[in-house]
Amino acid sequence: MTSNDNHKNNLRQIFWIWLAITVFGVVVGIYGTPWLMPTAASDTMHLSILTMVVFTVAAAPVAALVYAVVIVALTKWRYRGEGIPPDGPPIRGNNPATSAWLVVSTLLTVFLLVWGLALLAVDNGAESKSEMTIDVTGQQWVWSFGYAGTQVHSHDLFLPVDTDVKFEVTSKDVVHGFWIVQMGIKVNANPGAITTTAVTPNRVGTFDIRCTEICGLNHAFMVTRVHVLTKKNFEQWLASQPATN
Amino acid sequence: MNSTLEQHHVVGGGLLRRLNFGTAAVSGLIFGFIAWALSHHFLDDSGQGFADQVTVLTGCGWVVGFLLGIGALTGPGKWFTGRDQNHADEMYLAGKDLGRKRYFQYTTDHKVVGVQYIIATMVLLGAGGILAMGIRTNLLTPGNHFVNQQVYNGFLGVHGMLMILGLIVAVAGPWANFILPIQVGARDMAFPRLNALSLWTLIAAIPLLLGSLAIGAMDMGWVTQGPISDQSGIGFDLFAMSIITFTISTTVAGVNTICTVLTMRTKGMTMERLPIFAWASIFAAGLGLYAFPFFLVVMSLNLADRMVGTSFFIASGGGTGWLQENLFWLMGHPEVYVILLPAVGAILEIASVFSRKPLFSYRTVIGGMAGLCGLSALVWAHHMFTTGWAPTLGGPFMLTTELISIPTGVIFLVLLGTIWRGNIWMKMPMIWVFGFIVNFIVGGITGIYLSDIPVDNQMHGTMFVVAHFHYVFVGSVLFGAIGALFYWFPKVSGRFIDEKMGRISFWLVFIGTHVTFISMFVSGLRGMSRRYSSYAMIFEHTNFITTIGAYMIMSGMLVLLGAVITSWRSGEPSGPNPWGGKSLEWMVPTPVPLENFEVLPVITSDPYTYGEAKS
Repeated sequence: MTSNDNHKNNLRQIFWIWLAITVFGVVVGIYGTPWLMPTAASDTMHLSILTMVVFTVAAAPVAALVYAVVIVALTKWRYRGEGIPPDGPPIRGNNPATSAWLVVSTLLTVFLLVWGLALLAVDNGAESKSEMTIDVTGQQWVWSFGYAGTQVHSHDLFLPVDTDVKFEVTSKDVVHGFWIVQMGIKVNANPGAITTTAVTPNRVGTFDIRCTEICGLNHAFMVTRVHVLTKKNFEQWLASQPATN
Repeated sequence: MNSTLEQHHVVGGGLLRRLNFGTAAVSGLIFGFIAWALSHHFLDDSGQGFADQVTVLTGCGWVVGFLLGIGALTGPGKWFTGRDQNHADEMYLAGKDLGRKRYFQYTTDHKVVGVQYIIATMVLLGAGGILAMGIRTNLLTPGNHFVNQQVYNGFLGVHGMLMILGLIVAVAGPWANFILPIQVGARDMAFPRLNALSLWTLIAAIPLLLGSLAIGAMDMGWVTQGPISDQSGIGFDLFAMSIITFTISTTVAGVNTICTVLTMRTKGMTMERLPIFAWASIFAAGLGLYAFPFFLVVMSLNLADRMVGTSFFIASGGGTGWLQENLFWLMGHPEVYVILLPAVGAILEIASVFSRKPLFSYRTVIGGMAGLCGLSALVWAHHMFTTGWAPTLGGPFMLTTELISIPTGVIFLVLLGTIWRGNIWMKMPMIWVFGFIVNFIVGGITGIYLSDIPVDNQMHGTMFVVAHFHYVFVGSVLFGAIGALFYWFPKVSGRFIDEKMGRISFWLVFIGTHVTFISMFVSGLRGMSRRYSSYAMIFEHTNFITTIGAYMIMSGMLVLLGAVITSWRSGEPSGPNPWGGKSLEWMVPTPVPLENFEVLPVITSDPYTYGEAKS
């Protein structure tokens, strides 16, 4: 075989390995990612999981190309003789290949960007149409929640389902991270400032709140739960609570 | 007359000739103690921040005493008194005929400094690795209490900072000192005494960092977020002092590297004929000059808050933690590329030599590195997407962050183009290069997920982020650093690192990296926050696997350490150019003589002429 035939063979091998790894990556992305992540309890979280899936699918061919070349290099281009190998072909560059690489990576980046900005617009919209507001206060190492318009406070968070909720988050001491795991929202609780985030819970159930900024000794134990109730149950719960300051 | 004077200096010695690491340590301790005693005596012990003032002043005493004791100020002192150093002094400083002693002294020879940096890197990474094992052991099972929470939190911060400092110097320290001047055809660095100064300032900083653990109560992770940094115990004061000292060291080193490449090149060594490692080194050093002043500032302001009641980062006094976060990440993101670029430079050198092919598209990769440097200064707030600071800026910072994947892609293009159809020689350095490629794609792609704000809202502050940047730092930078060590070790010692032990360590570290950090990705995806000392039962299995993987990495690193130590003493002799390299460091004899070249070479092409007409 001439070296040209060899080269064509290598390209064919790279293509098939690339295809196999891409298919593998796409399958893992579509089925694996949602399986590994918590079941969404809001559209925000759903979009977050969807983004993970889409990005994995988009990344699969890129990673597959790198891995395919690595595999062919390790198996076909490997020098198996003794001592220093003879010199390879003096390829100092390849303008079409470089240009193609730059164009494709730029297109991928533009796609990621458009996707991200579109989702960001959806998220930002949620905050402006809120139906109820929760005051969230972090302090070492508990969360407390105040329900705007009432005197009710609680350490477990209670929310009505299918309601646009806005959180106004602050801290009494150091920075904490307010994160509702299954709803895909997170914002820091800063002393002396109020930060906001918003979500619409779409599933009745009990979910997790965890602190995501190290806040001293018991950071790992600054956890609580959010109970999403039907609207009727939520009203009942709220009415049954004593007013506190 | 002249010769008697020189004779006098050689025989009589003088202060200069009595100083070494031992006198430096003693002098540092004495000065530290004096500073401690004086500050106790004179400062108002009822005042706020008294303990912090004492700790910081003691730290200053240590640094000043250490540098005096090593002889850093002897040269300037002589200059001030009008008795500049004579030729014999210079030769002594360069370590001429001093044998092993010169490795424990304020030696100006760039090759000695390079070796000292290898040791310093090993100390930093080794100590950081031990803390990592402490952290992982604590997380072996839910509710495990290997250490208490206070100590655990201290481990987190100091582990992070030891590893960051260790990786900043891991490639740039040893190789931009030992190899770079030879590569550009110079007899030494542009400023040999500053070179020694940067090394010994770094050495002075290490005990402060370790000492911060000993005096404890540093519980906010390496990012030292305000205002919890104000709440923390006096361990933080030494931690900050250590970083302030380190920024001085790295600034001096960076200026030296840049000046060496720009001004010390031999005849014919145009910028377009520079080995790519030299380009990577000056990009990294230049970026460091931009980034590390922020580090100095953020730590100084933090200390001022603690010591003298300023309130830059304290909301109750009118400050804001967001200022701290901005300053920190203005440093923190460029710093990633300060760490990464020298490793990439080394990887590209190795890829070319071990594929027996020219570097693919030399100018493209220089453009890529320039792009990385420029963009890395504009992405810092992607670390702050969920802090609540300036939500309007989310879009712009998402844009700059995603753009950075283009120059990163260029690095891959050049790597793949270089190995494309080469005669791949799978010796140890090249094995680590393949490890780098495989790992860096994972680290890079997971970074793209995090740049997307809706995903970051879920993933920020979780183990997913930790796994992502460990794929970059361990999987990529450390692999590059180890590859560089295998590649250039024969030039340092005249011997190969043992290949068998090398292969064992590679497979342990390579498999260990994937076991550790893939399971860590899963912990993060399932919802585990980072910096947890304990966790819920649902994270039990993934954390157990992560810990096992971490032990694998550690055992691999221990095998590597054993290989380096035994090979340094009794490895297989390598000769001056064991890899058939074409850059200048392979043209000089091994061991490299003082001042490197008998006659400075004249350069007629770049060092990548594989397969081209014999020159």
